[in-house]
Amino acid sequence: MEKFTIRVNPGSCTGCLLCQLACSEHYTGSFNPSAARVQVDVSGIDCSIRFTEECNGCGVCVDYCFYEALRKEAVG
Amino acid sequence: MTMGGFAGKVLYVDLTQGKIRQEPLDPVIAQKFIGGLGLTIKLAYDRITPGSYALYPENPIVLGAGPLVGTSLPATSRVYAVTKLPASGTVGWCGGGGGNFGCQLKNAGYDQVVIEGRADRPVFLKIIDDRVEIDDARSLWGSGVEEGCEELWKTVGRPAGVLSIGPAGENLVSFSMAYIDRLSTLGRGGFGAVMGSKNLKGIIVKGNGGIRVADRKGYKDLSETLFQRIRDYPYLKEWQDLGLLKSLPLVPVEVYENIKKRRIACVSCPIGDKDVVEIPDGKLKGLIVCSTSAANLLTPMIYGFQDYREAVRCIAILDELGLDMFEFFGVMGFAKSLCDQGIISKDRIETEIRLDSLSSLETWAKKISLREGLGGVLADGFKGILKEFGEEVKRYAPPVVKGLIPYVGPKAPLAWSLFGTMELGQVLDPRGPHVGASGSPTYFAKRPLDVFPRHLDRMGVPQEAIERILLGLGTEKQQLKVGRLLKYSHSWFSILGSLGICARAQINRFYNASLCAELYEAVTGIETDLEGLRERVERVWTLLRMANVREGFTRKDDALPEKWFEEPGFQDYLTGKPAIRQDLEQMIEDYYDEWGWDPKTGIPTEEVLKKLGLT
Ligand code: SF4
Ligand code: SF4
Ligand code: SF4
Repeated sequence: MEKFTIRVNPGSCTGCLLCQLACSEHYTGSFNPSAARVQVDVSGIDCSIRFTEECNGCGVCVDYCFYEALRKEAVG
Repeated sequence: MTMGGFAGKVLYVDLTQGKIRQEPLDPVIAQKFIGGLGLTIKLAYDRITPGSYALYPENPIVLGAGPLVGTSLPATSRVYAVTKLPASGTVGWCGGGGGNFGCQLKNAGYDQVVIEGRADRPVFLKIIDDRVEIDDARSLWGSGVEEGCEELWKTVGRPAGVLSIGPAGENLVSFSMAYIDRLSTLGRGGFGAVMGSKNLKGIIVKGNGGIRVADRKGYKDLSETLFQRIRDYPYLKEWQDLGLLKSLPLVPVEVYENIKKRRIACVSCPIGDKDVVEIPDGKLKGLIVCSTSAANLLTPMIYGFQDYREAVRCIAILDELGLDMFEFFGVMGFAKSLCDQGIISKDRIETEIRLDSLSSLETWAKKISLREGLGGVLADGFKGILKEFGEEVKRYAPPVVKGLIPYVGPKAPLAWSLFGTMELGQVLDPRGPHVGASGSPTYFAKRPLDVFPRHLDRMGVPQEAIERILLGLGTEKQQLKVGRLLKYSHSWFSILGSLGICARAQINRFYNASLCAELYEAVTGIETDLEGLRERVERVWTLLRMANVREGFTRKDDALPEKWFEEPGFQDYLTGKPAIRQDLEQMIEDYYDEWGWDPKTGIPTEEVLKKLGLT
C-alpha cells in the first residue's frame, strides 16, 4: 500500500498494547508503552485510542494490531 | 554485564518493619535460573524458613516476571508467585496471564518482588518506578476484587497493573485467590490468604523505564517470523472469537455471541481470551462482567445451573469475593452430602445448600468469605470439614489431593477419563491439583500417537527420551509412558514460565524449545542453546522439588486418591482399559526416574543435585 491513513475501531480493541510496544521500540529503541505515539485507554468498558502529536502516521503500530482495531486505508 | 530483557532490580518489602529496599539482580543467578518462574523459585527457596507456616509473617511472597515480559513477543505477559500455600502446606507456584502487571512491573525496573512480614493494618503496595510506598488500605478492606482494583487504579491512573484480593483472601479462606487486573486468577491453593495474612490488599504498579533487548536485529528477525506464523494460522480468527470455549464448548456459540461484549488481552497477546460479557435479557439484563474467560463464567452449568445468566452471575460473585470456583463447588458438594447424611445438623444450615441455585450459593459464598457460622468451617476447605466432623466423614468427600480436589477426572467437574499428563500432573504438581503445568503445554487429547514425536521435539524433549516415552511406536504393542512424558510437560512449562510466555495451548503452539533458546539469547544477550536451556530448567524444577523435600514432603505425599479407583475410574490413555493403581504408581516412579530423583522416595539424588550445582 503506497499511501494510507490509519482507521481506528476501538470496539475491537483488546488493550493488548502491541501497538504501543511496536511504536516505542521503533522510535526509542526500547519497549516502553508510555513513550508510544499511540495511547490506548482501557479504563472504560470500551477502549479508546488516541495518537499523540508526534505520530507521523508510519503505520508500524498497525502491522502489530491483530484485532483490526487499527487498519490502513488506502488513499487516492 | 548489562543484560537485555531483564529490568535489573529486585524489590524487597518488609511489611512488619515498613522497610523497602532495592537490590541489583544478580546476573549469575539470573542466568542459572533463566528468570521469571525459575528465578522466582530460586528466590523463594532462599527466603523460605523451612517448617514455617503458610500464613505466618515469615512466609515470603516472591513475585516475578521473565526476561521476555515487556517485549512485543507474542503473549509474553506471565507473572508468577512462589510461596508456601495454605491448602497443601507445600511450596507452590502460582501463575497468571499477567494482564498489565508484568509489563508495568518490568517497566518500573523490577524483575522480582519479595514481600515478607505482616503489616499492622491493611495496606497496599504502590510502585511507580523508583517510588515505592506502603499505603494505608483500611478504606479498601472488605471491598470486592473488581471494586478494590478500580479504587487502586484511581490512585495512580491507568495504565497500571494491579494484583489484589477480595474478602475471601482477607479472611484467610484456604481456597481464596488473588487477581491480576481484576480478571486473571492467581493462586489456586490459597494464595489470596497468604496476601491476606500479611494484611496486603493489593499491589499497584506503573513504570516508564522501558525494556531493551540485547540484539535488536536478531530479535526483529525472530519475532517477525513468529508473528507471521500467527497471522497465517488458519484458526486464528476462531480462537480470537471463541477463546477457551473453542476447546471447552460449554454453551452453544449463539449463546456466547449473544453475551459477548469485548475481548481483553494481556499485554502483547495476539490471541487474547479474556472476556467482557453483558447479559442481554431477563432479570439480570445489563449485568456486565469481566472474566478470565467466558468458559469460567459458564462453569456452573456443569453443576446443574439451567440458566446461563445465573451461571454468569454466580461466578461474578465468586470472583468478586476472590474464591476459587472449582474448590468452592467441591467444598459445597461435600457439605451438601454431609447435610443429606444428617451429619451436618439442620440447625447449622439456615440456607439449604443447592449446587444449582444462585441464591443458595450466593449466601454460602458470602458466609465462607466472611467466615460466618458454618461458613467459617467450610472456609478451611476439606481439612476444615474433617476437623469439625471427624475423619470418618471422608467417605462422603470427593477425591482429594494435597488438600484440593482434582478437577479433571471421570467424576470431576471437567469430566474426562483418559489418564494422561494432565491427570497425573494433578498429583505430581507440588501445589496439588492444577492442570496449568501438565495440561495445555503438552495436551493433545485423543490425538493419534504418531503425531507425538513431532510435538515432543517441539517441547524440547531429547531424542533418547522420546524413545523412552513412546515404545514400539506403530506396532500393536505401542505404549505411551505418561510418567516419563510428564517430566517434559513440566520442563516445557518451566521454560515458558521462566521466559514469561503464556503456556495456554493457543499460544505455546507457536513456540518451540529451540526458538525459546534463540529468543532468550537475542533478548538477554546470554549465550544459550537448547541444551543449556534444558539444563537450567532441570535446575529450576528440581529446586522446587527440594523446596518441598526440605519441608518433609516425599513420595508419600504424591498420593493417588483412593476414589480414583472406584467405578467409573480413569482409563489407560491408549487402550481405554481401566487404569489400575499399580500402573499409576509405576508412572509416578517413572516420573521421578526421568528427572533423576529416587524412584522410591521422590527425593532428588545427590548425583543430580551435584550435576545441577544445587548442593
Ligand atoms: S503510526 Fe507510527 S508513529 Fe504513529 S503511533 Fe503508529 S507507529 Fe507510532
Ligand atoms: S489498537 Fe490493536 S494493537 Fe493496540 S491495544 Fe488495541 S488491539 Fe492491541
Ligand atoms: S492467552 Fe489469555 S492468559 Fe494467555 S496471554 Fe493471551 S490473554 Fe493472557
